[in-house]
Amino acid sequence: MRRMKAFALPGLIAGLALSTAAAAFPIKAGQGTYQDPGITDDTIKIGLFAPLSGPARAYGEDPLNAARMWYEMINEMGGIWGRKIELVIEDDRCTANDLVAAVKKLVEQDQVFMLNGGSCSAAAVAAQEYVLRNKVPYVMLNASGDGALYPPTDYIFGGISISQRAVGGIAVDFVVKHFNAKKIGYINHDDAYGAWNLETAEYMAKEHGVSLSVESINPNITDVTAPMLKIRAANPDVLILTTYARPAALILKRAHELGFKGPIVLTVTGTANLKQLVENVGTKDAFANFYVQDVINDSPDGPKQRWIIDMYKKRYPDLAAKPDHPTPYMPYGVASAQTVTHALMLAGPNPTRESVARILRTLTFESGVMAGMISFGENDRAGQESSIFLKFDGETQVLQPGVYTSRWTYKP
Amino acid sequence: MMGDWQVYWLFLQQGIASGLVTGSIYALLAIAIVIIFKTTDAPNFAAGEIFMAGAYIALYLLIFSQIAYVIAVPVTLAITFVFSALFYRIVLRRIGVSPAVAVNVVIATLGLSFVLKGIVRNTGFGDVPRSFPAVFGADTVQIGDAVLTTQDVAVFALALLAMAIFFVFFNYTRTGRAMRAVGMNPRAAALVGIDLHKTRMLIWGLSGLLSALAAILIAPKILMTADMGIVVILGFAAAIVGGFTSLPGAVVGGLIIGIVENLVGLFVSTRAIVVAPFIVIMLVLAIRPQGLFGGPVVIKKV
Repeated sequence: MRRMKAFALPGLIAGLALSTAAAAFPIKAGQGTYQDPGITDDTIKIGLFAPLSGPARAYGEDPLNAARMWYEMINEMGGIWGRKIELVIEDDRCTANDLVAAVKKLVEQDQVFMLNGGSCSAAAVAAQEYVLRNKVPYVMLNASGDGALYPPTDYIFGGISISQRAVGGIAVDFVVKHFNAKKIGYINHDDAYGAWNLETAEYMAKEHGVSLSVESINPNITDVTAPMLKIRAANPDVLILTTYARPAALILKRAHELGFKGPIVLTVTGTANLKQLVENVGTKDAFANFYVQDVINDSPDGPKQRWIIDMYKKRYPDLAAKPDHPTPYMPYGVASAQTVTHALMLAGPNPTRESVARILRTLTFESGVMAGMISFGENDRAGQESSIFLKFDGETQVLQPGVYTSRWTYKP
Repeated sequence: MMGDWQVYWLFLQQGIASGLVTGSIYALLAIAIVIIFKTTDAPNFAAGEIFMAGAYIALYLLIFSQIAYVIAVPVTLAITFVFSALFYRIVLRRIGVSPAVAVNVVIATLGLSFVLKGIVRNTGFGDVPRSFPAVFGADTVQIGDAVLTTQDVAVFALALLAMAIFFVFFNYTRTGRAMRAVGMNPRAAALVGIDLHKTRMLIWGLSGLLSALAAILIAPKILMTADMGIVVILGFAAAIVGGFTSLPGAVVGGLIIGIVENLVGLFVSTRAIVVAPFIVIMLVLAIRPQGLFGGPVVIKKV
């Protein structure tokens, strides 16, 4: 218990600094009338949503649990400016139709003050038009959502885990600095996700003066012989994979069969369940020279992550007892909820949707969870653009030195 | 360092070798589609989900029930056989008495595909990509410059064996010949005493069995998800290239699709892999509308 407290303090201090200030602030909100829906003298209503059913449930359920535990903790500490946070939770099933329907219900029927949700980029991006038309501040949960972040808008904020544009550039930066790579193999998807991460990968490759051999594959590919053979023929110093988990497993397996010995770096797009990845590849030998990207501030079982894991275990003891829980994506939900509570606090005792959105546009804070600062700016609506790397031998993860930050910026 | 021609030579060998392996699975799926089309006159749009369900049944028996491979595989094949036959008996036979039969059959198979996918998703097994335990190891085998695994070689050999068994069954057994007769001319088949419904029920069962067999063979290579049935699109592509009513055409079509996928990925672009089968379909249909092995075009309705 004593140990838990020792670890919990630094993270809580870092993460709670602004929110607790609001909770402890002597001024109590309560002007009686408010220009926006979802806010009263005692409560502020937030629409929280994620895929809670369907095949993508694993991407969103635990980040939503994490966001909820943060909001509950803020409520236990007195709320924000004396207002308790009231959550209305919806299941977006990771599909554009369901997410837009959930957002419309939350805004029109439940009359929430602001939105916090979405774990799947394509679905989250689909809500863009509706959110902008209704001028509701929208902070994505753990979707990167690049399609709605660039060009920047006044009300949508995402990439709290990391933006796809940051993913590719950071991976290139890491392999150049860590392996002194001159020729880099790069396998991405031929969808918008892949195009976004390739854009910054090419930017960073140009900046470092290294070459990139790119093979773009369909996410539903079943035979990866062709891309892997072409990569092997290009003879790169290192291979970067920015694919989803299933193609990543197929490529790792084929790379091993074809005798590819160079380092392989898998970005955070495919690391949802490393245990399952090993099982799917079928042999630990394929992980002899293998690295994974992560966007939190320590290895998942490292001391800097301890406070949030302990908080989760305390809040959800039944869930924590299940295998593979908390999931690797769980901490992202806390950073997203922190973004909301920090903005609400800084907006003062009488926030409006407009004032909260204005605060979000320049918000910067240390989450105590993620690899880098959560930071938005004039042309930047992606909150987190840093990552760490871990060597993974099929069993244990060893943190590699350094935090790598994207240097790509959006040019209007 | 290899020269350009050596690399292209390697690509060609590897493309053909790997293409034959995946192509043999497409061929099995194409046979499963063609035998139903020949006898029911409608494509089975649930073929992909029967394929997917077969893989999950086998996985459940092998991993979660800890049943030995030699028992789990025949039990899976038997379950899919009985299930598919019952689907014909309970659903399609009823639909057969209504007008607009072909459309209704198509809608019924689409419905079955949604039901099967929904069931697998609700079990929780379909949430993450899962590996299917392979019987054969991942040791590599060198054929020329191409590298295959023993699993690949076994998949190809077993698929060919299954096709050979079906060839013998359709050509040299009384039931198999009755099935061909129903496919060629159901009215004449009925006149000589063949029970149409019983034969069609058996064909549906066999189609399900073939789909499950293809799934068990390919699942260790492609990983399992509730959406893995999408592979059957390539079975349809193979059937169309082969002629849709021709069993040898289905086999050749499957192998062509498998090889073209790989060669296009290696010599054109990996982005083009998914569109390659459809370009082949368009080319075949433009040059030979009845497919490579299809008979003359017959207008049945005006």
